[in-house]
Amino acid sequence: MSQLGTKKAEVDLPVRTKYEESRRQKTGVFFKKKVGWLFIIVSVIAITIFNFYPMVQAFLLSFQSGMGANLEYVGLDNWRRLFGDPTFIAALTNTTIYLLIQVPLMIVLALFFSVLLNDPKLKFKSFFRIAIFLPCVTSLVAYSVVFKYLFGIDGIVNQFLLNFGLIPQTINFLADPFWAKVVIILAITWRWTGYNMIFYLAALQNVDKSIYEAARIDGASSFQQFFQITVPMLKPIILFTSITSTIGTLQIFDEIVNITNGGPGNATISISQYIYNLSFEYTPDFGYASTVSYVIVILVVILSIIQFRVAGEKK
Amino acid sequence: MKKFNLMFVAAASMAALAACSSGDEEASGGSGAEGSADVDEITAWAWDPAFNIAALENAKEAYNGDGDYEVNVIENAQDDIIQKLNTGLSSGTTNGMPNIVLIEDYRAQSFLQAYPDAFHPLTDVINAEDFADYKIATTSFDGEQYGLPFDSGVAALYVRTDYLEEAGYSVEDVTDITWQEYIEIGKDVKEATGKNMLTLDPNDLAQVRMMIQTNGSWYVEEDGSTPNIAGNETLEAGFETYKEMMEADIAKIVSDWSQFVGAFNSGDVASVPTGNWITPSVKQAADQSGNWAVVPMPRLDMEGAVNASNLGGSSWYVLNVDGKEQAADFLLNTFGSNPDLYQTLVEDIGALGTYSPAAEGDAYAVEDEFFGGQQLITDLSTWTDEIPAVNYGLHTYAIEDILVTGMQDYLNGAELDTVLENVQGQAEAQLK
Amino acid sequence: MNSLKRIFIYTFLSVAAIVSIFPFLWMLTSITNKSVDVTQGRLLPGTHLIENLKTLFATVDIVPALINSSIIAVITTFLTLLLASLAGYGFEIHRSKGKDIVFTILLLSMMIPFAAIMIPLYRMFGSISETAPLIGIDSLGAVILPTATTAFFIFFFRQNTKMFPKDLVEAGRIDGLSEIGVFFRIYMPTMKTTYAAAAIIAFMNSWNNYLWPLVILQSPEKRTIPLLISNLGSSYSPDYGVIMSAIVIATLPTALVFFLMQKHFVAGMMGSVKG
Repeated sequence: MSQLGTKKAEVDLPVRTKYEESRRQKTGVFFKKKVGWLFIIVSVIAITIFNFYPMVQAFLLSFQSGMGANLEYVGLDNWRRLFGDPTFIAALTNTTIYLLIQVPLMIVLALFFSVLLNDPKLKFKSFFRIAIFLPCVTSLVAYSVVFKYLFGIDGIVNQFLLNFGLIPQTINFLADPFWAKVVIILAITWRWTGYNMIFYLAALQNVDKSIYEAARIDGASSFQQFFQITVPMLKPIILFTSITSTIGTLQIFDEIVNITNGGPGNATISISQYIYNLSFEYTPDFGYASTVSYVIVILVVILSIIQFRVAGEKK
Repeated sequence: MKKFNLMFVAAASMAALAACSSGDEEASGGSGAEGSADVDEITAWAWDPAFNIAALENAKEAYNGDGDYEVNVIENAQDDIIQKLNTGLSSGTTNGMPNIVLIEDYRAQSFLQAYPDAFHPLTDVINAEDFADYKIATTSFDGEQYGLPFDSGVAALYVRTDYLEEAGYSVEDVTDITWQEYIEIGKDVKEATGKNMLTLDPNDLAQVRMMIQTNGSWYVEEDGSTPNIAGNETLEAGFETYKEMMEADIAKIVSDWSQFVGAFNSGDVASVPTGNWITPSVKQAADQSGNWAVVPMPRLDMEGAVNASNLGGSSWYVLNVDGKEQAADFLLNTFGSNPDLYQTLVEDIGALGTYSPAAEGDAYAVEDEFFGGQQLITDLSTWTDEIPAVNYGLHTYAIEDILVTGMQDYLNGAELDTVLENVQGQAEAQLK
Repeated sequence: MNSLKRIFIYTFLSVAAIVSIFPFLWMLTSITNKSVDVTQGRLLPGTHLIENLKTLFATVDIVPALINSSIIAVITTFLTLLLASLAGYGFEIHRSKGKDIVFTILLLSMMIPFAAIMIPLYRMFGSISETAPLIGIDSLGAVILPTATTAFFIFFFRQNTKMFPKDLVEAGRIDGLSEIGVFFRIYMPTMKTTYAAAAIIAFMNSWNNYLWPLVILQSPEKRTIPLLISNLGSSYSPDYGVIMSAIVIATLPTALVFFLMQKHFVAGMMGSVKG
């Protein structure tokens, strides 16, 4: 079918008479619609099979409860249970805190790095790019061990702060509910800023350089250029990274398990860690775990709608 | 351009292929669950190459039955085994499941009850009398024996004799003591040597677990599911002791396994109260040879508490899939009835089982130079017999995660009664 | 003023670079140390490198795992780039109401944690194992299929396509190219940096993927690198020097892919796009 369509387009395209033009547009629109679907059909089928089908199953599971294979329908019980479950509430609160502080911080930093590194006059560009991307490839084990040592009681951070008289006595970062969260936020930011920077760097290559040239001639400062050209031009990618980072942070798991394992107490536990615990660490209740998963889905949907609205992409 | 079109078609047909194959998903599946066909290869999953995997390899050598099949030993991390088993068993697909699997005792009840038909009973295969009582309690369910007890997990107090001496204590002074006595000694040791007595990880209540088992208590009631936190006197004593240790300033705080091992390897602590499986890690610091001794675990200062406890430990299970007869046969003729195997296990890998007839063997009596010539295995084996049996039940880790938060509150000054009542309430709410 | 700004920029970037590289350097020095030194957080290089590597190669089959991971990562990256860019392009260039709705629905698929869909997915692959062993349980195909098409990359390509000059498409049509031809002849070369970025991320995701390969792969000879490393750490007495050596080896391919691809991020290379 695709072959037939292609031939037709080839024949049609060069014809330029007014009559033919309108005919082309009519069949063209029809044809374009069809060929448009061809571009997306494989992905749509694959995602339906490998994501949506299991998602529906998971949704059905969220109305069941029981140990392991002994699941039975409990209606909305799991949803009610959520509100009386202190561990879930702690996980939800922590995750929200991570999200509100970490995502904006990271996006701004990544944007900033990418603009600096996109400057044609900057020296050692490759070095800086690789350096800032490295945290992404560094293994979690290595990086969590390093973070634990950096923020340990006799760790470098404490020594540094003490020597400069910034704190009166050492802080046990990882054993303090407030500081443990700070460390987690720093860790996530450290690990994923370079990752987001990649998307911006790629997008910046597609921005027409002559716009900057014109702005410079008009006397716009770097600051003005950043806010009046770069940010609006990159809007689609900023939207992309803020939505994917929101999803990433709402599903944050590895960093927390490796650095604090949710502690002290459950001061740093995330929703995903709780899902994992409910499924594998404790006597498994996959029904309730699914319910908690769908809380993430609901949160992401709401936040994405807000982000799309703010970006003004959809009505 | 032809090329591109071809690629496009190829991609499309690939997706179609995937779609087709997923169409007939109800057709097969769940195959083999009922089968009892003979197989010529069985698979066993376990973790730790130096310990459990090596034990399986030894068992293959020592097999003295007449079955004709291969045993395929596969190493997986413990967490990985838990994830794979849960995913496989709950999806009802026995495809890819092993025949024999090692499960930690704390998790055993949860697997047995979550997947009732997934395990093959060994009641008629092994003689439960031959194994330590506390192991049988955790590996059986509903009148059937499912697990073949393996790794003992007997807890012991590893002490640095040189540090003790410096503080004026001998090995006898730390033998069969209470935790209170231990704390007092710890203070003296710290004063004399500047070294902490032990490491504590505030996120891991293993210490408390070991303490309460010395008095035969656990986080749950006898039924294995009702949280037993508020009003549990043994647990209260455990919490109080833990706080005393923290306040006595004799503990080095660690936050993970590597720091825990690092602390005693580098000589930062004077003792390590933990499971006997730590022996190889202690011996890793070869320069400390002769400076260590192992004594019974301190007990809680309560009527009925004993100087014996347990931490971790695991057992073998047979899954109800094709080859279960062979798997049971393999286990019976190795870990189930073969005292010689246990001698090699002790000699080659330092793995201590709980099979009583094995204790008379020569290998158990060997003197260990690293521990100043102590007959370590004999001692550990004696203590193993005294471990109080408790039903670990279904919720050890779930309750412990809530308890950890409670412990934080308690250490920060909250009333113990209130803390434990809170934990009880939370546990009841969460474990519906 | 300008030189002051320069100094600020270089200082800022240098600090960021040092902070970023530090754990990586620690990782590199740790492979030269004994396990005991690693657990004590030793920062200086030691002399244990050869022993660590010897033990590593003697105890685990790291080469087959590298090969498995490479096969999976390369195929996954290729499929991801091809399918996601086709779809991203289709959604944006051939935009229609219907497709916008489909797109919104596709985005939903990113939002659920993988752990929640893992069991149904496993059941699905389990049930086709008998009929199609190449994509059944314990096959590399089963690792690749669910990860090769993700809404994430479709979304990424679509957002980048928004910045792609649409008149190039019209120009291509006028030049007589078919719709598919426009995509391969004009869009693909123009969007080289977008592909480079997607390749880096897709490769990295696939290379580090853990949970799915863990549950779907069973035989040791099919293990990927992350599974192998997970095993190394599972021992009661883990050798951290050896684990770190395995980790460093496992990290090199991703670092290499980044190194090769980042060359495409050269400011001014594209200029104003002419095709």
